[in-house]
Amino acid sequence: MISIENLRYRNLAIDALTIRPGITTVIGPNGSGKTTFLKICAGIILPDSGTIVVDDAPPRQTDIGWVNEYPDRNLLFVNVADEIASPLRFRHDTCDSVDSAMKSCAETMVITHLLTRTVRELSGGEKILVSLAAALVHHPTVLILDEYDSHLDAHVKEKNEQIIRSSGAKYIIRCTQQMDTATQSDHVLFFDNGRVRHDGTPDQVFPFLKGTAYYPLLWGC
Amino acid sequence: MGVLIIRITLNRVHAIRDDWSLSASGTLDEGVHLVSGDVGSGKSTLALMIAGLFPLSGGSIEKEGITSTMLSLQFPELHVTGLTVAEECTSWGVSPDDILGTTGLTGKRDVSPLSLSRGELNRLHLACILAKNHDLLLLDEPFSSLDCEEKAKLCTRIGQTSQGITIIFTHEQDTHRANVTGNYHYFHPRAGDPSESYQDMGNCRWYAG
Repeated sequence: MISIENLRYRNLAIDALTIRPGITTVIGPNGSGKTTFLKICAGIILPDSGTIVVDDAPPRQTDIGWVNEYPDRNLLFVNVADEIASPLRFRHDTCDSVDSAMKSCAETMVITHLLTRTVRELSGGEKILVSLAAALVHHPTVLILDEYDSHLDAHVKEKNEQIIRSSGAKYIIRCTQQMDTATQSDHVLFFDNGRVRHDGTPDQVFPFLKGTAYYPLLWGC
Repeated sequence: MGVLIIRITLNRVHAIRDDWSLSASGTLDEGVHLVSGDVGSGKSTLALMIAGLFPLSGGSIEKEGITSTMLSLQFPELHVTGLTVAEECTSWGVSPDDILGTTGLTGKRDVSPLSLSRGELNRLHLACILAKNHDLLLLDEPFSSLDCEEKAKLCTRIGQTSQGITIIFTHEQDTHRANVTGNYHYFHPRAGDPSESYQDMGNCRWYAG
């Protein structure tokens, strides 16, 4: 379990929250605290007060895969192949295993044609795919995706949904503005003004949002 | 006095990069147009070509009656020049008070634009651009990162555009279903010789592969 208690960071306030293994989707208006929450889950920022633990360890002692909502903020290296391989090199895997894992990951994601490109040449969607590959290549315990799907067409999004689900990540925490995607989750959190207003399964959360822009299109048919 | 015609004509324009190429032909008249397609199909490249920011490998682009062009890049962060949100508004020649009020960012007047969430930054950026009229407005993935309510507002705002040519480049085809655009051009990637494989789309033909 990911357990959060009395967490405070700027205007974000969560008294108690438990995230179970599976897919948790965070939704809500722009500026409601979704990205801040994801960054705290990833250990990128530390709360002003309160605690967050992932299976009894703080996020910074947990293997995290992270995709930023700003595509360019994910990319550290000039070449796509180096970018995907970087998490494995940072933990000093052998050259052979790094090369093998990098190519295998690229094949799974059907982006081998990008391996010889520079990241500067990529489209926005391609940058996100490379970032996702770099987040998955080291098989993280927690995979955190901040609106990564806003850059992907429906076909690519569906394909990557399957890849993410079969990635082996124990916890997948993602933020999206695609409510039909959010329905395909184990757990939904609706944020508003720094608070978790609704928390539960899609069947429990979305009835509260009926009549708003956050109600899934397909549920309205 | 004759009626001013605003029109863009793409005469077999194409761009080539390694084993990837993009070609387009067609005429875009006044109104709102949607160019859609898969990741990597060349939507952003075509936007840059029409804006004159990407060199053509061949063909030509004719612009009639267009005296002002505005390109909104896919990444709003690349447009930022102000150190604060208020400065950013001013840099676009618009009043911070007007923009911040309509975007709900009044409380963030003095923070860095780059500290905003991406959705907030995109909202700010689009409000600054749409505050003025442009003969040719190119919007590359304008809906990216906007929340559901803001997407709906943007669709309404673009639908109210009464003059000039607006071209939306996006993978999100809900905008077409929402009747934002009068013209829909799907950008379909496929293999082949671009000189012979243009895709017919009404009065336009697009090709990327």
